[in-house]
Amino acid sequence: MKTLQEVFKKYEAVIGLEIHTELTTLNTKMFCSCKISHEDLANENTCPVCLGLPGALPVPNKQAIQSIVLAGLSTNCDIEKDSMFYRKNYFYPDMSKNYQITQGPVAFAMRGYLDLEVSGKAADERVDVEKDEDNAYLAHVGITRIHMEEDAGKLNHIGGVDGRIAGAEHSLVDYNRCGMPLIELVTEPDLRTPEEARLFMQKLRSIFLTLNISDCSLENGSMRCDGNVSLRKRGETKFGVKTELKNMNSFKNLHDGLEYEIIRQANVLDEGGQIYQETRHWEPSNKRTIVMRTKETADDYRLFPDPDLAPYNLSDEFIDEVRAMLPELPDEKRERFMANFGLGKKDASALAEDAATAKFFEDALADTKDEKIAKSLANIILNDLAAYLNAQGATIDELDLNSLYFGELAAMLSSDEISSKQAKEVLELMMKDNVSPKQIVEEKGMKQISDLGAIEALVAGVLENASEQVEQYKSGNTKVIGFLVGQVMKASGGQANPKLINQVLRSMLEKL
Amino acid sequence: MSIDFDALSAMDAAHLVKAGEVSAREMADAAFSNIEKRDGKVKAFLELSHDLAYEAADKIDQARSAGEELPLLAGVPVAFKDNMNLVGTHTTCASKMLEGYESTYTASCVENILNAGGLPLGKLNLDEFAFGSSTETSAFQTTHNPHDLERVPGGSSGGSAASVAAGEALLTLGSDTGGSIRQPAAFCGVVGFKPTYGMVSRYGVVAFASSLDQVGPFAKTVDDVAHAMQVLARKDPKDVTSQPGENDFLSHLHDGIEGKTIGIVRSMIEAKGVTDEVRYALNEAIQHLEDLGANLVDVELPHAESAMSAYYIIGPSEAFSNLSRFDAVRYGKRVMAANLNDTTALSRYEGFGPEVRRRILLGSYILSSEKYQELYYPAQKIRTLITKDYTEAFKTCDTLFMPCAPRAAFKFGEISDPTEMYLSDMFTVSINIAGNGGISVPLGMGKDTGLPLAGQLVCPAFKDAELLRVAHALEGCYEKVSVAQAVQEGE
Amino acid sequence: MALSPQDVRAIADYARIAVKDEELEELADYFNSMMDTLNLIKKYDIEDVEPTFHPIGGLVNVMREDEQGDSFTIEQTLKNAPEFEDRLFKVPTILGGDE
Repeated sequence: MKTLQEVFKKYEAVIGLEIHTELTTLNTKMFCSCKISHEDLANENTCPVCLGLPGALPVPNKQAIQSIVLAGLSTNCDIEKDSMFYRKNYFYPDMSKNYQITQGPVAFAMRGYLDLEVSGKAADERVDVEKDEDNAYLAHVGITRIHMEEDAGKLNHIGGVDGRIAGAEHSLVDYNRCGMPLIELVTEPDLRTPEEARLFMQKLRSIFLTLNISDCSLENGSMRCDGNVSLRKRGETKFGVKTELKNMNSFKNLHDGLEYEIIRQANVLDEGGQIYQETRHWEPSNKRTIVMRTKETADDYRLFPDPDLAPYNLSDEFIDEVRAMLPELPDEKRERFMANFGLGKKDASALAEDAATAKFFEDALADTKDEKIAKSLANIILNDLAAYLNAQGATIDELDLNSLYFGELAAMLSSDEISSKQAKEVLELMMKDNVSPKQIVEEKGMKQISDLGAIEALVAGVLENASEQVEQYKSGNTKVIGFLVGQVMKASGGQANPKLINQVLRSMLEKL
Repeated sequence: MSIDFDALSAMDAAHLVKAGEVSAREMADAAFSNIEKRDGKVKAFLELSHDLAYEAADKIDQARSAGEELPLLAGVPVAFKDNMNLVGTHTTCASKMLEGYESTYTASCVENILNAGGLPLGKLNLDEFAFGSSTETSAFQTTHNPHDLERVPGGSSGGSAASVAAGEALLTLGSDTGGSIRQPAAFCGVVGFKPTYGMVSRYGVVAFASSLDQVGPFAKTVDDVAHAMQVLARKDPKDVTSQPGENDFLSHLHDGIEGKTIGIVRSMIEAKGVTDEVRYALNEAIQHLEDLGANLVDVELPHAESAMSAYYIIGPSEAFSNLSRFDAVRYGKRVMAANLNDTTALSRYEGFGPEVRRRILLGSYILSSEKYQELYYPAQKIRTLITKDYTEAFKTCDTLFMPCAPRAAFKFGEISDPTEMYLSDMFTVSINIAGNGGISVPLGMGKDTGLPLAGQLVCPAFKDAELLRVAHALEGCYEKVSVAQAVQEGE
Repeated sequence: MALSPQDVRAIADYARIAVKDEELEELADYFNSMMDTLNLIKKYDIEDVEPTFHPIGGLVNVMREDEQGDSFTIEQTLKNAPEFEDRLFKVPTILGGDE
């Protein structure tokens, strides 16, 4: 088995993504007023429109159009004022009308891009670009379009193996999902590595979560990603034959599926074989892609403008109204965190890219502008809290955390009231009992001793009984200072400020 | 009192009920009694809804005894083309595909008529899925022209026209995609009105071609039609393409047409295929219009001759897509086969009649990406040109006058070639393509055939109230429309 | 170019109608005769004409607010179903049956 690195020496991978996102935060479907829900009983949320009954007519959801304009504005797209809905005609039992309402050549949002900062290990996959001293590079990924459409219902295949369609005796149809508002984003074939694809998807998800247009669950399928992959020899400008990859329902699967497919194609090409234009299914458990169907000719969907729906001529007012709804996006937030709180790029990015984490951080800070507190807080959230959440298998917004307690804790830490070791202990108790850190520190008598006089007294006491170490120090063995700090700390019951101990020790030793 | 039901217009009936001279229940009785006597010969109805009619009648009678003000169409016996959904009835589109299909919601146009006090007698025959001009393609029965039972009532809203002409319902609704209201109205000698596209909601009316379909009323008088429009013309939040337009159809209905300019479309009147008696009647009508004080001008519609081609591109294409939903999954006829694909294909073969299948196939072909560029897209450009013709014409006149059907009703089986049948709509389709309002006004009986003939008046978009005013004036030059003699024989 | 019965078969398959073999010829004739009529539109100079997809122009941006309305009861939903199981529409095997 080749590695990606080996393949990339000879070939360049050309990857484009098609990302479907259900607008789950809306109340109702795209063209009817049925409730949106992934949880209700089968066919609970259906009506003449989404069941495609004879005589029913679609009426578009205004807030869905706002959502797609938001998505377009936040991905640097041009908003097309003039567009239309089209009908894409094909027979499949999950699409009640046997045509899908979608958009034609002109989508609501077109010609956008996202810039990805690829760094660290993720950057290793790319071999043909210059990287900076942090092993980082910038990948510019064009977005062809984002268009509005409706989702299909769900099929349950009965009587076959593992609910698969092949071999099933019959199928059951649930139209709850049929007609859900769906936006499809299509990228340019600008991605070159599976890591870039993963980062793009992560960045897009982070933006959509910030916009609050979807719950963006890859697991539940409210955000779905298909990949188009082809290889070409390095230096070649013509595209190779591409395959379409489906079922990449996690970031890991997106990466691993693409990685597998790239290596598979390289093997085929190296053996003098031919890549066929086909749709392939990623099987995470078997770590392979299998053919779903071969496309001999392009599908002819009989696309034509839907006569039941009025064309769009979005006004400047409509677009401006939507623009005014735009929240601060992760990239902007990161810049602000860096500028206002002096956070490093890494911490600022980590906080900003998850909307819930960023909000928690800002809530915890309350009105504080103190850089030291902010840095301590960032530390607590990104290290201690992250570890805790990880252990709990929860996300930050799933637990009922009091952000103000975290702010308090950070303030105490940054003003040296408690040591970082104590902070960890406080954090643990704080989470367990849901009490304020101040109270914990008080009850436990945990305050850090930062009083210079008190520490001088402690140091003096230790030095009196450590003549041997004092001699060693004087003869040039400065390493003994570690032992002495430990002794002072012990004498303080673990509460003395280690930085101050160090300071006082050194100056008193010098004076001896 | 005993009712001379045959002598009543819809508004006569409403006045009698409002005045308390006849109860709504008696009105329903009278209508059903005529249906019982005559519909065996005419076969306009596919289904009768006694329960719904009497329920509505009782509500009106109770409201009247309670001293409440009664709505506009209180106690008027009405009926609906069977492509309109009404809860409590079946909606079959005269197709085996929908045999036994029970409506689970009610069309907005139907609801508006019922809210105004109409008594729903039942559902009316049509060409299967409204594809046709004679009602002969109905999968269930042949409707007969009440004026000559050997002849077709026209179509596709043949049942809607015939039941009014037979004195069964006093007001009916039909749908018009290329002439399906105006042509049967002409054949049956009643008033049939296709309003401007968008004026009446299409929600709940089974679609044939969404950009051409429009719902409208049939009645014996223009006054009845105006009253029906008063409740039908409204913005429906469930139909994106519905537009309110003007909504006063009554205030100026009787104002006459003195000083109005009527554009005469000579090229159509002189066109090949127009029979002598139709041409004679049209010229007579033009004379009447002049006598009423209208100014006459000649107008040209240079692209009208392309309308048939554009119509048979756009119509079948939209129909192909609209009828894709009949797949034997959620409703409709199912003929089981080895798998779903074959089940759908077989169900659609057996469920749809030959004309429906022909048009679906034609549409599917025209929408293939190659033909889309070659035919569909250009046809929509032709639509622009046809629309512009009308806009230009209306710069010189208020209303247009032209033929409706080129001839009187034909005999059953007389036209068997589908492409020849399509010519029945040669003067009506361009109006659907442009979207304007058009009305079929009875011009008395033909001098050669003795059968009803009609002329067509056309208005600028949303000037429908003006159109009805002209139609009302012209109607006054003729004998009042009365129930066809042929159906009364032997009573 | 005139359509052959085989062309009609392909069109019918796409439109999912199980037309009988013996009907293909007649349908091809119908298609070809219709094409003569439809092709008449080609004689007009429409190079610079904009298409009208929606009659009565000017109607744009028609939308509804994102407010929930009434949905069907399960009885209404399944009322006309040819076959159902529990709350779901039942359809024959999708991929099977192709021997």
